Amino acid sequence: MMHNDRREFIRKAGIGMLAGMGAASGILTGGGFERTTSAAWAAVPGEHGRRWGMLIDTRRCREGCTLCIESCHHTHNVPAVKSPDETVEWMHKEDGRELLGSLCSSTAALPALCNHCVEPSCARACPTDSIFRRTDGIVAIDYHRCVGCRSCMQSCPYGEVSFNWSDPRASLKNPSLDYPTRQRGVVEKCNFCSDRLVRGKKPSCVEACPEGAISFGNLNDPSSEIRKLLESSETLQRKPELGTRPSVFYII
Amino acid sequence: MRKKNILIIGLLAALLVVLVSSFRAGAESESPAEADAARVDSSACVYPKEYMQTHHMQVLEDWKNTAAHEGPDAVHETADGRKFQKNLSTCLACHGSNRYFCFSCHAYANVTPNCWNCHISPLDTP
Repeated sequence: MMHNDRREFIRKAGIGMLAGMGAASGILTGGGFERTTSAAWAAVPGEHGRRWGMLIDTRRCREGCTLCIESCHHTHNVPAVKSPDETVEWMHKEDGRELLGSLCSSTAALPALCNHCVEPSCARACPTDSIFRRTDGIVAIDYHRCVGCRSCMQSCPYGEVSFNWSDPRASLKNPSLDYPTRQRGVVEKCNFCSDRLVRGKKPSCVEACPEGAISFGNLNDPSSEIRKLLESSETLQRKPELGTRPSVFYII
Repeated sequence: MRKKNILIIGLLAALLVVLVSSFRAGAESESPAEADAARVDSSACVYPKEYMQTHHMQVLEDWKNTAAHEGPDAVHETADGRKFQKNLSTCLACHGSNRYFCFSCHAYANVTPNCWNCHISPLDTP
């Protein structure tokens, strides 16, 4: 036999609502921060050996500093094309929210580069097999095969592939002699410094960063520095929901 | 007492030196790729001179087609077991010393290979 007057009803409803809010705050702790699951760097079944990966600690990334980008672009003869709709970039800085979505609390400009995905959609789209995934996890381009169809640019969800609309040599003032240039009509993107790795060097952005914000290493090696950092930190990936499994991670 | 102090300071200094050197060693062993691929060996050519004079284009064509896809395994092994990185710079590490090595012959034979569209030609190096 329930008999509540109006005052009693409002009081009980209020208590119920408070309890509900309390429970919800318990469930939804940590804001939107979702730690990258270890599946993101777990070895691909049937695939052993190296998988190169990068971790960018954006807390140490200086505002307005572009040393990593300058070093990368000089090392790989990336042309500084003036026209904004013909820009060629291997690395650039982008607003944190744009880059990592609403989970990212930072609106500072963060470094962005090719994610060297385990499931690269650019490689799926390439009709000539010019973009492919190497055995060490690097998504590389064979510029000899590229026909300039730009399918990879359309399919890359991160927009990290650039096209040479004009002769890149015209925009190179001081080319690095250790690395080739490209020619008009081919695409290009970050190669995770595969040219430097083969000589036992770290990627140029890693070496250029004065704050040591960029770590690089083998994601398949549990004792590597990058794996230890991944296991001990909250990290984000770009658009993990797409299932491309990026190899570039961010600490916010 | 004083002697004891000096001894302790000496021990501390030794400990510091050991610690610093061990950190250094750690930093060096961190280097990623400990180049398991072949080093650029320019002491002798991939094939005998006579073969290369007539067939260098086939060798380079093969390297061009296979090197990128083989990635870290793009290593050319000769019959006598020497290993070379499949890269035009492997050739130029030796032949680049004569800036006209490629061009004098290609001009004579009237051929214009497109290598230098992208690779930086020895003629463009200072």
